[in-house]
Amino acid sequence: MASVAFQNVEKNFGSTKVIHGITFEIQDGEFLVLVGPSGCGKSTLLRMLAGLEEISGGVVSIDGRKVNDVDSKDRDIAMVFQSYALYPHMTVRDNMGFSLKLRKADARITTERVARAAKILNLEPYLDRFPRELSGGQRQRVAMGRAIVRDPKVFLFDEPLSNLDAKLRVAMRAEIKALHQRLKTTTVYVTHDQIEAMTMADRIVVMHDGVIEQIGTPLELYDHPDNLFVAQFIGSPAMNIVNGTLHRHGGTAYVEAAGGTRWPLESGVGHDGQQVAFGIRPEHLAVTDVGTVGAVPAQITVVEPTGAETELLVQAGEAPIVLVTHGRTSVRPGDAIGLAVDPAMVHVFDQASGDRLVPVMQ
Amino acid sequence: MSTIALPQAGSALPSGPARKVISTWQRWGLVLLAPYIVVFLVFVIYPVFYGLWLARHPQSYVNLVNDPIFFGSVVNTLIFLIVGINLKMMVALFLSGFFVRTQPWIRWLSVLFILPWAVPSIPTILSIRFMLNPEWGIVNQTIFRLTGADGPNWLNDRWIALSMAMLVHIWKSLPFWTMILIAGRLSIPAEHYEAASVDGASAWQKFRFITWPSVRGLYLTSLILSMIWTLGDFNSVYLLTGGGPADLTHVLATLGIRYLRLDQVDLSMATIVCALPLVLPLVYFMMKRLSK
Amino acid sequence: MNARKALREARLILIGIPVALWTLVPIYHMFLFALSSKDDAFSGQLWPSHPTLNNFAIVFEEKHYFLNHFWRQLGNSLVIAIAVGVITLAIATFAAFAISRLKVRGGRLVMNCALFTYFIPAAFLAVPMYKAMGVYGLLNTQWALILAMITLASPYAIWVLKQASDKLPYELDEAARIDGASPLQLFRLVYVPLMVPSLVAIGTYALLLAWNEYLYAFLLLSNDKDITLAVALGHFLSADDSPWEVLMATGLIYALPPAAIYYVFRRYMVSGLTAGAVKS
Repeated sequence: MASVAFQNVEKNFGSTKVIHGITFEIQDGEFLVLVGPSGCGKSTLLRMLAGLEEISGGVVSIDGRKVNDVDSKDRDIAMVFQSYALYPHMTVRDNMGFSLKLRKADARITTERVARAAKILNLEPYLDRFPRELSGGQRQRVAMGRAIVRDPKVFLFDEPLSNLDAKLRVAMRAEIKALHQRLKTTTVYVTHDQIEAMTMADRIVVMHDGVIEQIGTPLELYDHPDNLFVAQFIGSPAMNIVNGTLHRHGGTAYVEAAGGTRWPLESGVGHDGQQVAFGIRPEHLAVTDVGTVGAVPAQITVVEPTGAETELLVQAGEAPIVLVTHGRTSVRPGDAIGLAVDPAMVHVFDQASGDRLVPVMQ
Repeated sequence: MSTIALPQAGSALPSGPARKVISTWQRWGLVLLAPYIVVFLVFVIYPVFYGLWLARHPQSYVNLVNDPIFFGSVVNTLIFLIVGINLKMMVALFLSGFFVRTQPWIRWLSVLFILPWAVPSIPTILSIRFMLNPEWGIVNQTIFRLTGADGPNWLNDRWIALSMAMLVHIWKSLPFWTMILIAGRLSIPAEHYEAASVDGASAWQKFRFITWPSVRGLYLTSLILSMIWTLGDFNSVYLLTGGGPADLTHVLATLGIRYLRLDQVDLSMATIVCALPLVLPLVYFMMKRLSK
Repeated sequence: MNARKALREARLILIGIPVALWTLVPIYHMFLFALSSKDDAFSGQLWPSHPTLNNFAIVFEEKHYFLNHFWRQLGNSLVIAIAVGVITLAIATFAAFAISRLKVRGGRLVMNCALFTYFIPAAFLAVPMYKAMGVYGLLNTQWALILAMITLASPYAIWVLKQASDKLPYELDEAARIDGASPLQLFRLVYVPLMVPSLVAIGTYALLLAWNEYLYAFLLLSNDKDITLAVALGHFLSADDSPWEVLMATGLIYALPPAAIYYVFRRYMVSGLTAGAVKS
């Protein structure tokens, strides 16, 4: 087990800079998720840690040892690829034991380690099969087994679940998390799926266009997004964003959006006349009667019941808004309603910079 | 934790050369590439430049142009390329449509059809050469038996002999190009044809609007590649006619070798240099197509 | 409806019969001669009146002036073909691996050089090659032919193997690197096992190219004991009174191994070779 540190890490492909000076540390035993939209540089960063990409600038170190010029095989890492990258001509057993064979490990130790990994991953019945004879989930487990057998300092996962169907993805998510809790090996996990990030990570690094937007625990990111990008990226359904002008009259404050809707704020945020983005998560809105004081008038467009909760698509002024209510609801498309906003749960961002204006107090 | 000992570099060590990681792999890449590079330098680059150096005297070209055989060979080569190759590729395109059908007997025929390409050219070309022997050959004897008339003297007339050489070339390489075009046709999704059938397209319209647009690129590439290779086809002419009668059926490939055998290396190389304006544009075209 | 179907089938047969005749007649004629006595051969019959295996006996017992070294020459053809097949395969596999998998700098340039060589018409390269072999002092040695054939076979071999290599997922190499493989271990333990079908096709291609070659063999070798069977067959052309029936028997023996190999590896050959030959 080991800690990992990035210091001012940069990456250029030719003259294009794709990673702009990234610095952060991963604690020993931590499960860290790198998340961001495709092209944000998260995979490149992981591959630099793996030694598969040259590091154009800065320092990457594992356990305090600079590894910029260390070959992958000497970094004591193991990686699970999106495509699994199992050797098609080897059995599951040989796939898992390959790294030990290359290191000329004792055959007895190899057998023992492969057996232990197979047991952990429920792969024992499949050891003599070839990858093509396995299902997607089993291949995924073999890829993890290959990593476990190594007993490396750091596990690297590059979008390992994207090739699985939705149901299997949820199951494997739990399996990987359980595995980490059991082995406590430092893990760096790359995904574009914020739900994976939220459910699995000890800490999340949100990346966008080659820079870090925010680092924090899942709930920190959810409750206190530093900027518009994180606010919209984390959470599903995504946070509602309404652009408008901030107004302050005496003790009350609100954002007036196109179409004349007024969205209430706690006072003390921003300054009068500022162009802001008003953000509220779907579960922090509630349906009330039309005309309720402080409620935003809106009209239901679509009702999507999912059983446990119901998602409502409504139109408030010119802004399409999503809200989630628990349980069932009697509203129907076309109904006029009021949207009750909990001002304590509101996020306000500067429109120009995208930065959060004032943290919302709870 | 780890039972595998790893070399530990001190963390305080200054970094080595910045590209060290990559260069182990790069170095092996160069080592593995080296054998071919040596072959290329020793057996392509040196011979080519040595050959060009041998062909440096303007007098060689004067002598070449004054040799009446040269002009005839150029004409023959052009006829070979323009008539022979286009004929071959059109037949190949037609036959590829025949061989994509799924009847069992057509499958079997396609297996036999490969034979000319699969067997070496010398025995089969010599076999054809004897078939065309005016006195003893099976062709003329059959003509005599059926009509009572003497057949033509196949290999003793410039144009007939040249046509025969083209047919030999076509016989030998037709299967290969047909296979290429079959592969091209098989990559067209069947739904396109089904949709066209529903729309009431005739066989010709299906070819015109579905098959041809899909295989056009492949056909053109094949045509050019076939022309390049045919410029180097020595066997079809040499083994059938030997360049005769009276050196009238030479093409540039056999003419170059003829000069070499006569120890006139400068003329031989000059012949090849004269063929370059024909070869290089085609090669350029192919390089652009293939090295994408 | 049935009548239309029959008509269509009849039209196909009208194409099929000429195609079959066109393909088979020269080969059948070779058979016919090989099984005929001299008199039958020259009589223009479609089947010999007294089929005989005597011609083969003459060949096998080296009982004709042209065939004094038949076995030796057959062996030469075999040794040269195998040497060219093996060496070309090694050179081309190394090169394709370096270019496609190790992404060696300058690999693209080498690939283009190889492609360029592939496009030089063979007969045109023969003349400078002949002169260069003279300079190297290799003329009239079998190494001259072996090296020349390697030169001719490797460009296409590299091209096809590179195309096939490019289709292997690159993650496999990365996984192997992380697993601790050196470049040579990657080559031996991962790359070669996965490339077997293409390697079979390319090895066979180079072997057949060398076995079938006439022009280079006839330029580079001259001693009767060194020449290949292809050149020996060409010698029959030098005399007016050549025994064509014996020539055809020899030719048949010479043509059988490549035809057999081709049909054994047909699946590999057709997909392996046509796929690389022309990229549309």
